[in-house]
Amino acid sequence: MTTVKEDLRYAKTHEWVKVEGNVAWIGITDFAQDQLGDLVYAEAEPVGEEVEIDDLIGSVESVKMASDLFSPISGKIVESNESIEDEPEQINEDAFGTWFVKIEMSDPSQLDDLMDAAAYEKFCEEESA
Amino acid sequence: MKKTPLNQRHLALNARMVDYAGWEMPVQYEGITEEVIAVREKVGMFDVSHMGEVLVCGEGSGEFLNWLLSRDVTGKQKDQITYAILCYEDGGTVDDLLVYEMDENCYMLVVNAANKDKDVLHINDSLTSYREKYPDREGDVQVIDDSAYYGQIAVQGPESLSVMLDLADKLGLDAEQKEQLQGLKRYRQIQVEKPGFERKMIISRTGYTGENGYEIYLPAELTAEVWDLFYDYGVKPVGLGARDSLRLEAGMPLYGHEMSEDITPLEGDMGFFVDFSREFQGGEKMKEKSTRKRIALVSEGRAIPRDGYPVYLNDAEVGVVSSGSFSPTLGKGIAFALVNLDFPDDTDMVVEVKVRKKFEPFKVIKAPFVKK
Repeated sequence: MTTVKEDLRYAKTHEWVKVEGNVAWIGITDFAQDQLGDLVYAEAEPVGEEVEIDDLIGSVESVKMASDLFSPISGKIVESNESIEDEPEQINEDAFGTWFVKIEMSDPSQLDDLMDAAAYEKFCEEESA
Repeated sequence: MKKTPLNQRHLALNARMVDYAGWEMPVQYEGITEEVIAVREKVGMFDVSHMGEVLVCGEGSGEFLNWLLSRDVTGKQKDQITYAILCYEDGGTVDDLLVYEMDENCYMLVVNAANKDKDVLHINDSLTSYREKYPDREGDVQVIDDSAYYGQIAVQGPESLSVMLDLADKLGLDAEQKEQLQGLKRYRQIQVEKPGFERKMIISRTGYTGENGYEIYLPAELTAEVWDLFYDYGVKPVGLGARDSLRLEAGMPLYGHEMSEDITPLEGDMGFFVDFSREFQGGEKMKEKSTRKRIALVSEGRAIPRDGYPVYLNDAEVGVVSSGSFSPTLGKGIAFALVNLDFPDDTDMVVEVKVRKKFEPFKVIKAPFVKK
């Protein structure tokens, strides 16, 4: 069974968001990594890029599937996790502990449009039904 | 969705099930990577009961099949299995298949699940054209879809023979059949009567992984108990995801990717299995219809090619990826691509594949990707 984490916000495209001050840490959920299977490629967009909601912020690939990460929030990428390129398997091992990018938010009120853990859990149940 | 006789086994193992050609099939059990490695290093087993079995039987059936298929099925030893291609009149591909001689004047065609109904219609239509074309040929050919009565398990990997021999008694082989199994050559079969069942068990030294292996055709009702024999022995179940990776690594084409209504066997690099020295359906127009060829590509970096990605040579688009994946065995992206006929024949050249927004370098190699 996959898990959700209580203190995070979630997007319908299976990204999680952790808020630290004005910065949003973003990764893919445990449900997403499980659906993709063993990850063999991961990449995050570089520091400095300005992104809007739904812009590309990273990519992951398993043996059979390729999937993109879309930004759940607008702002500027202030950190990009390069370690995922060398070790994409860490995302399978600890999806909620492996961030792709940190975004300095331009409009934190956008967080209100994301799901909380309970809503996301329900959303995943519906998706796998 | 249709279910194979092993459906409950897959569910009990918590396999991830998908709709494959209308069948509920396991795409993976524990993970594609470890399932690929099990087959490359030891042994694994696949439920391939969704494959179709079509009988072409009756007087004149061999002669009809020789005309229908890309190679002759007659004039061989009785236990020999023929891999051949079924073509449209215009040279496009209907399906690729294996032909088993079951009896005098009776052949079993093993076809892709997704194509089975189309194949049966095509074979029946072709039989009508054949009769019109050769009114003087005697015969009473019948086409029978026998798929529902068979299950099939593929046991593949370097340890497959030793597993098969260890389980030979339990599989119901007598001493002579066991000896036959020990010496069974590639593309040969053993047929074993199963008391109480009309259909026989067929052990075939064939596969779709590039490893040594056996495909076991069984009366549908016996499929689960044979699966359990292998499972209890410790043979790892392997899903369709790993099966596709294994076949691609082994350089084997897949219908719908390297062959289709619009892709001729020649374009799919299947010329070895097309015998132009005799007349056959599709043979006349095939060369004219062929405007591309299949090449094999290995990633020079981390990029993973996927179906449909465009291929570039010197900044010009020259083709498209027909099957692309990450190779668990090589740890690199690999692909087949269909490129223009004037693409150079040299290997070791570098092309670019557009992966998302970037142009990534790939080396042209000679398939297979994984050599045994």
